[in-house]
Amino acid sequence: MKAPISLRILCALSLVAAGIMKPSAEARTWTSTDGKPLQAIFLGMEGDNLKFKLANGSQVVVPKDRFIKADQEAAERLSKIGDDSFTKASARQIDTLLAVTLKKNGFSSFNEPLPDDLFVRRVYLDIVGRIPTREEFIRFAENARPDKREALIDELLLSPGYASNLFNYFADMYRLHASDFNNGIRMDPYINWWREQMESNRPYHEIVADMLTAEGNVGQNPASGFILRDTGMEFDAFANFGQVMLGIDISCAQCHDHPFDEWTQGDFYQMAAFFGNTQRSLGYRPASAMMDSASVQMPNAPDGWRDNFMSWAEKNKGIVPRDQNSNRFRFFVNALGWNVADNETLETVLPHDFRGDGGKPNEVASPRTIIGAAAKTGGKTRREAISEWLTAPDNPRFALVIANRMWGRAFGRAMLNPVNDFSEDQIKGASQLEVLKFITREMQRVNYDLREFMRIIYNTRAYQSLATAEEPDLVAPYYFAGPVLRRMRAEQAWDSMMTLQHGAEIDKKGGPDGSFYKKILNIDFNTATNEDVWRHYEMWEQAYGPRAGMAMVSDSGDDYTPVMFTDTEVRASELPQPAPAASMLDTFGQSDRRITDEHNYDGSVPQVLALMNGTVTERLTGVASKVVADLEELDGPDDKVRGVFFTLLNRYPTKDELDLGTGMIEDFGDEGISDLAWALMNSPEFLYIQ
Amino acid sequence: MMHIAELAGKDPLSRRYFMEMSAKLSFGVSLGVPFLPRNFKAQDNAKGKNLIYIYLSGGMTHLDTFDPKSNGGVMGGTELLDTVVDNMKFGMHLKELSKQADKLAVINSMTSTNGAHEQGQYIMRTGYEKRATIVHPTIGPWAETLLGKRGDILPDSVLIGESTSNAGFMDPSLSPLPIADPSGGVPNTQLLVEGDRFDRRMQIAQKLGEKFTEKFKYVGPKSYVEYYTQANRLLKSDALTAFDTSNESNRAEYGETRIGQGCLLARRLIEHGVRVVELVSGGWDMHVDVSGGTAEKLPELDLAVATLLKDLESRGLLESTIVAIGTEFGRTPDINMNSGRDHYPAAYSCVLAGGGVKGGTVYGETDGSGKKVKANPVKPEDWLATIGHGLGLNLEETVYSPTQRPFTFADKGVPVTSLFG
Repeated sequence: MKAPISLRILCALSLVAAGIMKPSAEARTWTSTDGKPLQAIFLGMEGDNLKFKLANGSQVVVPKDRFIKADQEAAERLSKIGDDSFTKASARQIDTLLAVTLKKNGFSSFNEPLPDDLFVRRVYLDIVGRIPTREEFIRFAENARPDKREALIDELLLSPGYASNLFNYFADMYRLHASDFNNGIRMDPYINWWREQMESNRPYHEIVADMLTAEGNVGQNPASGFILRDTGMEFDAFANFGQVMLGIDISCAQCHDHPFDEWTQGDFYQMAAFFGNTQRSLGYRPASAMMDSASVQMPNAPDGWRDNFMSWAEKNKGIVPRDQNSNRFRFFVNALGWNVADNETLETVLPHDFRGDGGKPNEVASPRTIIGAAAKTGGKTRREAISEWLTAPDNPRFALVIANRMWGRAFGRAMLNPVNDFSEDQIKGASQLEVLKFITREMQRVNYDLREFMRIIYNTRAYQSLATAEEPDLVAPYYFAGPVLRRMRAEQAWDSMMTLQHGAEIDKKGGPDGSFYKKILNIDFNTATNEDVWRHYEMWEQAYGPRAGMAMVSDSGDDYTPVMFTDTEVRASELPQPAPAASMLDTFGQSDRRITDEHNYDGSVPQVLALMNGTVTERLTGVASKVVADLEELDGPDDKVRGVFFTLLNRYPTKDELDLGTGMIEDFGDEGISDLAWALMNSPEFLYIQ
Repeated sequence: MMHIAELAGKDPLSRRYFMEMSAKLSFGVSLGVPFLPRNFKAQDNAKGKNLIYIYLSGGMTHLDTFDPKSNGGVMGGTELLDTVVDNMKFGMHLKELSKQADKLAVINSMTSTNGAHEQGQYIMRTGYEKRATIVHPTIGPWAETLLGKRGDILPDSVLIGESTSNAGFMDPSLSPLPIADPSGGVPNTQLLVEGDRFDRRMQIAQKLGEKFTEKFKYVGPKSYVEYYTQANRLLKSDALTAFDTSNESNRAEYGETRIGQGCLLARRLIEHGVRVVELVSGGWDMHVDVSGGTAEKLPELDLAVATLLKDLESRGLLESTIVAIGTEFGRTPDINMNSGRDHYPAAYSCVLAGGGVKGGTVYGETDGSGKKVKANPVKPEDWLATIGHGLGLNLEETVYSPTQRPFTFADKGVPVTSLFG
């Protein structure tokens, strides 16, 4: 164990000696080739120089080759993901706070530290969402560098697998469903927008603000998919907003006062009124046949564009809009039309049987926030007002909700449960209240940079501990002496199987991304001619072929020939969302995306049958066993047995297991190897993250 | 060096050894010796021995189905249809069921306080309000607990139409077997290697797995050991044919739909000795275009259930099999701006048939526009208690969760006993 940095005595490099005042307790120590330390915050690389900030605030530039090789490598890494001085200080702070409460509650300390082999499997599954390959496992195992753990965490956080894995989490939370929308119109551009937010590590509050304030159709503005997702069920949409963004399930207050919490029926409608003039419409007729209010047109569209285009198509292109053969044409026009806009003439109205305080039946509800500060409304649309209120620095609830969720991802158990519905009392009674407060502030400090937030957590001693051996009770407080044992998510199980089959390259293999669909729908109707819109209809025809075809195409750059995908052996995040019923992902519990956080971790007979007899298992352990082929280069049964363990369970075999495995190889040769591989895939350990 | 022979003990690589080991791992079940019913207080005079619970997920509209009104203002485009029972009217799409209304007991006074799908569905399938602190079992695990295990190879309960299931706080071995696609049956049943080699693989896997399940005292890994045992038992029996409807001659009569094929599979499973089949069928959340939605979904439901009732009857199974149709709530009498109907828990309809149910009965009543329950309200826990009563479950018997919390079937719901003959 290294001595704490704060205890080290610093001797500055000669050229910066004058600049050193008081060393920052957090700053990393850099070592020159002649053995002198420099404690400073790394700012980045400038050509062959490294730029630092000293404790006194001044900046210095030092040639890279003045530092030892390990530090040069660290600089390469940190230049991509950012200095880790605060990351580590923050991780230590979390550990300190956790330890205080652990002691108070009779625990001597954290669980035993995680050995390297379990560490590598866990961080691959947690960060990139799949098991490591044998090569990746060995590379880490053979690395003797003391900072190899933090280096691997950073490397994985920067890899494409990180975005893929986090996407799966949000796909469940935000119920991303490509086709569950009126008339089978697809949401692929919105779903791909989520992929892009993950890939660019967009701050979470910005993602949320984009979704809450989006206008237009899903091609013009893919973030509008969030609002469009729940067209026709505006109150459910609002209830979902409460669950995912505020951690409050107020859905029951739609019909009556909340049985446990303080929410009343009046609260529900007043808060819902922030979305009261949000119009989801086909963009061409009054928003409601039942209401006198006029609809507003979709953004970037002149009045009557739709009727105008329909009659033009009838006259010039022989389209008979009502004819059965024109189904796809109608789909197309509807898909273009479905959009989100703000319509000042719409209001949220209290229900006819309203019984609560704060209004009478059939009265208009005024927007009012029900927790925290009041929303500032002047000069803003209602959605802008609620979005700014939500993500404001003085609304800790928003930061707390996402911090609690991200903590839960790492530890297999959140501090507040369920993550989408907890009361103020629960917060006050949290088992690790000081940590909860701290990570909430940290979420704000890192400006909702989820990658940096997770980086802090993965660097804690608490996270890098053995999983707690005894299943913690759902009700009793849990003090986080380490993570709990978790079953892989369906996506992790699928992606791990894909990794066994295709290797690490699977992370780079893309799938259909909705880009062709987005291009078809993205029209500025103010400038487009009818011929232009017709051209987009022809593109639609190209992609729609069989109706399901739309799910499996991407933009090729050529308007008339989209890229068709037939390969479904890609990572779960690259497949159409969600995977169909009875597919492997569905079988292992992928959410059907109807309600939030619906991923299921239960086992089942069909799951084990898939592992026993399924296609991937056949390729790995059947007649032409991939595992056997991959280990051909290794000599001797011992190495082969280790190879099988590295491949499937990413750990060293115990003495007994090694004996058992070598015995099998001696008795049965290659068959023994594939039998061992099958057995490891079919022992419960395979599906668990320990 | 340890060889397989030593690992396996006295009788290496033999099927017998393996079978014994599997049996030991299945929480006390030994092969070929069925459980004895452990509860003799159950109502042995109940005619219902089996249950097919058809669950319509999303909230079936009550006005367009079993509780239509002469008040055209709330009916959208739906017209009334006479049935073979004098004072029973259905919505116009339930043509086939209207001919068998004499087999049906319709409850038109269902009422709930859960207007959200998740909570509504939870209580309609477990009899309990959803809580964050515990998971309650569905009917299958309850029946197995209160009546004793029935089958030795086939599971006592099967869930059609969903890919995952659990037994709540009860032992995972009681979890219904999920069949996501009724036409697909149980996938992946072709062994990759046969005979002794397969047994060897299973032995090694179990041996390796033991360390893990000893190290981590969690329900999850232990449940997988149980599922491997169950899967292995299924694979080595001919019971799997129970899930295969491909040779059924009346496939088409049920309709080539998920719900049709689900009903067919349900009947086949009941015939093979499964006690409880839950069939979940979605697509009922008709916020947009309810008349289009009902025109699509109701004929599917109508054909599937009508065929199921006839089929059960002709096989002599209807007397012993309760067929129940449930949903989480009804839909608003007012048509919304998207020509749809929204969630409406205040009043909705559920249906029972077979298993001693008095057919041709309408229980409870809503007002003239289907908005309020006027008489004999039935809450979700009462509905579950009614089914439990029909199956002869002892509604008083207390079962304890692993944390020693006491539970009774259907949370003290009051059964509507008058629906049974």
